[in-house]
Amino acid sequence: MEEEMNVKVSDSLDTMADQELIVLRKTISVDQKFATGPVMGKFLTALKDKRILAIQCPECGRLQSPPREMCAICRVRNREWVEIGPRGEMRMMEYCYYSSPDPLTGESRETPYGAIGILLDGCQKEEVFWHLLRPEHLEMVEMGIVMGDRITRGSRLRPVWAEERSGSIDDIKYFEIDEQAR
Amino acid sequence: MSFREKNRHVGIVGIGETRFSSHREDVNQPEMIREAVKDALDDAGLTMDDIDCVVHGNMELFEMVHQPDLWHTLGTGARGKDAFRLTTGGTTGGTLVGAADNLVASGMYDTVLAIGFEKLQEGHTTGGITNMADPLWARKLQSGALTDSAAVKAIAEFGADRAKRVAMLYRIIMDKHACLNPNSHRAFGLDWDQMEDLMENSPPLIGDLRLIHMCSQSDGACAMILSCEKKAKQQCDHPVWIRDHITVHREETLNLCVNHYPNETTHRFAARHLYERNGITAPLDYFDVFEMYDPSAWWGADWIRDFFLLEGDEHYRLIEEKEIMGGGKMPINPSGGVLAANPIGATAMVRVAEAAKQVRGNAGPHQIPGTVNHAIASSFGGTMWTILMMLEKELNW
Amino acid sequence: MKNSEESDSYIIHGKLALPYTYFAGRTGSTFLTTLRDHRTIMGVKCTTCNRVFVPPRQTCERCMADIRSQWVTVSNRGTVVNHTVIRYQDKHLPRKPPFVLAMILLKGADTPMAHILEGVNPDRVEKGMEVTAVFSPATTNTLLDIDHFEPVAEAP
Ligand SMILES: [Zn+2]
Ligand SMILES: [Zn+2]
Repeated sequence: MEEEMNVKVSDSLDTMADQELIVLRKTISVDQKFATGPVMGKFLTALKDKRILAIQCPECGRLQSPPREMCAICRVRNREWVEIGPRGEMRMMEYCYYSSPDPLTGESRETPYGAIGILLDGCQKEEVFWHLLRPEHLEMVEMGIVMGDRITRGSRLRPVWAEERSGSIDDIKYFEIDEQAR
Repeated sequence: MSFREKNRHVGIVGIGETRFSSHREDVNQPEMIREAVKDALDDAGLTMDDIDCVVHGNMELFEMVHQPDLWHTLGTGARGKDAFRLTTGGTTGGTLVGAADNLVASGMYDTVLAIGFEKLQEGHTTGGITNMADPLWARKLQSGALTDSAAVKAIAEFGADRAKRVAMLYRIIMDKHACLNPNSHRAFGLDWDQMEDLMENSPPLIGDLRLIHMCSQSDGACAMILSCEKKAKQQCDHPVWIRDHITVHREETLNLCVNHYPNETTHRFAARHLYERNGITAPLDYFDVFEMYDPSAWWGADWIRDFFLLEGDEHYRLIEEKEIMGGGKMPINPSGGVLAANPIGATAMVRVAEAAKQVRGNAGPHQIPGTVNHAIASSFGGTMWTILMMLEKELNW
Repeated sequence: MKNSEESDSYIIHGKLALPYTYFAGRTGSTFLTTLRDHRTIMGVKCTTCNRVFVPPRQTCERCMADIRSQWVTVSNRGTVVNHTVIRYQDKHLPRKPPFVLAMILLKGADTPMAHILEGVNPDRVEKGMEVTAVFSPATTNTLLDIDHFEPVAEAP
C-alpha cells in the first residue's frame, strides 16, 4: 500500500445494531423479440382470419393447440393441420384473486380474472385450449369435469375477437358464454 | 429407461443450512450463501481445500441477476476450482445434489460441494415464474406458481367436504412439524380446532387454493458435501449413502390446465421406476421417513398417493389418521416441508438435507422417534419435474 | 392442410418487465452510507492475505476468512489501471455515448473498482492516469453517489 496513513481498521462499524440497511427497488424492463417459427406462425396468422388451428400427431392422433412441432409423447413430427372450434365447452378455470405482474409492464394485473381451459369443438379429452374468460362472466360459468368415465358438461363458450388482429394471442379478447347455446 | 449402476458409492458428509426467513436485508446473496457453506464445512470438519468441485444453482429470473455463480464466488468458495451452475426450476436443489452424486460416482471428483440458494424477497416469485412461460401464448395466461388444479381434481374425486378437510388437516400437521423445527420461516402454532375457520377465512389466491395452503417465499441457502466411499469414510463417522436417484421431466405445459392427466404423473412414473430397479415392492413399509417438496397443501396431500404407489383414498386415510406425523406409519416432512420454508433454489436440497439428518439421527428438536434406516426425498419443479433421492444409513443393499 | 412453409415465421415484439429489490447487506450498507454521509470510500482488509478490497466484502475470496469487521478508509484518489470506451447507446447505461468506464485503483486499495471517468477525451485516457472522485449532489444510495472520477491534473 502506498499511503499507509490512510488506512485505519475499525471494528465498531459492523456491530451497529440500528444500522441503516440499504435496499434498492427497481423494475428491470427489457425489450424482446420472438421469432414465431413456422408452426406457431401459421397458427397465429390464422387467428387474423378468426380461425383456430390445431396440429395433429400422425401416430396417436391427438390435437395440440397452440400447436407444437412435435408430439412429445410419440416423439414424432406433427404433420396435419385441422381447424377446431371456435366454440367450445368450459373445462377448467384458474379463478385468480391474486394479481401477478403483467409481463409487459411489471404492473399488477386487474383481479379477479379467469384463465380457462376450453374444450373446443372437434377436440377431446385433454385437448383443451388456454385463454381468458370475459371478466363479467366469472361467476356465471359452469366448469366441466372429467373423472375417468364420469363427465360433467361445462358452459358453452365462444371467442370474442379483437377488432384489429395482428396474429397474436390478443387477437382473441377472451371467451364468453355462448348465448346461442342456451 | 436406461439405468447405469454407479461406479462407486457416494456419501453425504456435510450439511449446512442458513436460517430461513422472509427478510435477510442483513446479508447480500454471496454473504448468505457463505453461511450455508461454512455450516456444511464445519459439519464435515473440512475446509475449502478439501473440495474438488462446486455446483451452484438457483432459479432464473427470481432475483433478476444474471450469472450469479461468478460474483457469488465470495460465498461459494469456488475461486480457482472447477465449478458448474445449474438451474432447473423448483427442482434445482435436487438437480444440484443429483449432479454432485453423478460427479462423484463417475470418478471425476472425490468431494463435491453443492449449493442452492434463493432470496425470494429480492425478486417477484410469481412474476418470475410467469416470465418462464412460452412468451407467445402462456406468458399472458399463466398465474405463476399458483394453481387451483390439484384442488379441482381432489374435489371432483372425493367431494368438496372431504377434500377441503384433508388439505387443511395436512396443512395443520405440517405446521405442527414446522413448530418443532427451529429453522422454520413460518410456524404459526395452528391447532386442530382452527380447521373450519381457516377453510372459510384464509384469503383466497386461486379458486380453492388459499393463502394458508401455499408455500412461503423465503430467503435462505443450503449446502451439502458429497464424497466417494473411500473419502467419505475418512472424513466422516457416519456418512449417509445416496443409494440411487431418478429424474423425470415432462415439458408440456398445457396439460396442467386440465383436470385429469392423460398419462401417469411424473411422480408416479419416477417412484415406480426407482422402486422397481432397487427391488422395493412395498415402499410404505420400506422407508422410515419422507421429505416431500410440497408446494401447497393440496398438492402435498394429493402426491402422497403417487409417491407411494397407493390407490383410491389410501393417501387420504394416511392423513386423516395422522399417520404422516412423527411416530406414524410414514412420517412426512418432519421439517415442516416447503410450507414452512421455501427458498426455492435451495428448497429441493433442503428436502435431501433434512432426510439425511433424520438418517443421522441429529435433526434436532424435529428428529422423529426410532431409527431411520431408509429415507426418501422428492423435488418438484416446472410443469411436472420430479426427482426422487433414496438415502440409506448402511452400505448394505 | 399441409406442413407450414418457412414464410409463416415472423417476429413478435415483447417485453420483460419485473420488479425486484436488492439487499446490500450490512457490509454493503456500511460502504454506501459512509460514501453518502461522509464522502469517504471504505474497504475491508484481509490480514491473512494482506489485501484491501474495495468495494468491501464479508469474505476474502482467497482464503475464505471472515473479514467483515476489518474496515479501512482508502483515498478518494487513485490511478487508472484499465479502461474501455462505451460507444453504443442503451437505456440501461448511465451516460450517453461515448463515455469512459475505467478500472480505478484507489490509494490504499488492492482491488480496482469500475467507475465512470469524465473530464478527459475518451481517446486520451492512459494507464496510470491519476484521478479523483467527484461526488454526486443527490444520493441514490448506490455507487453512483460518486458521480464520476476525473483526472487530478489536466490531461496531457
Ligand atoms: Zn402422438
Ligand atoms: Zn484472505
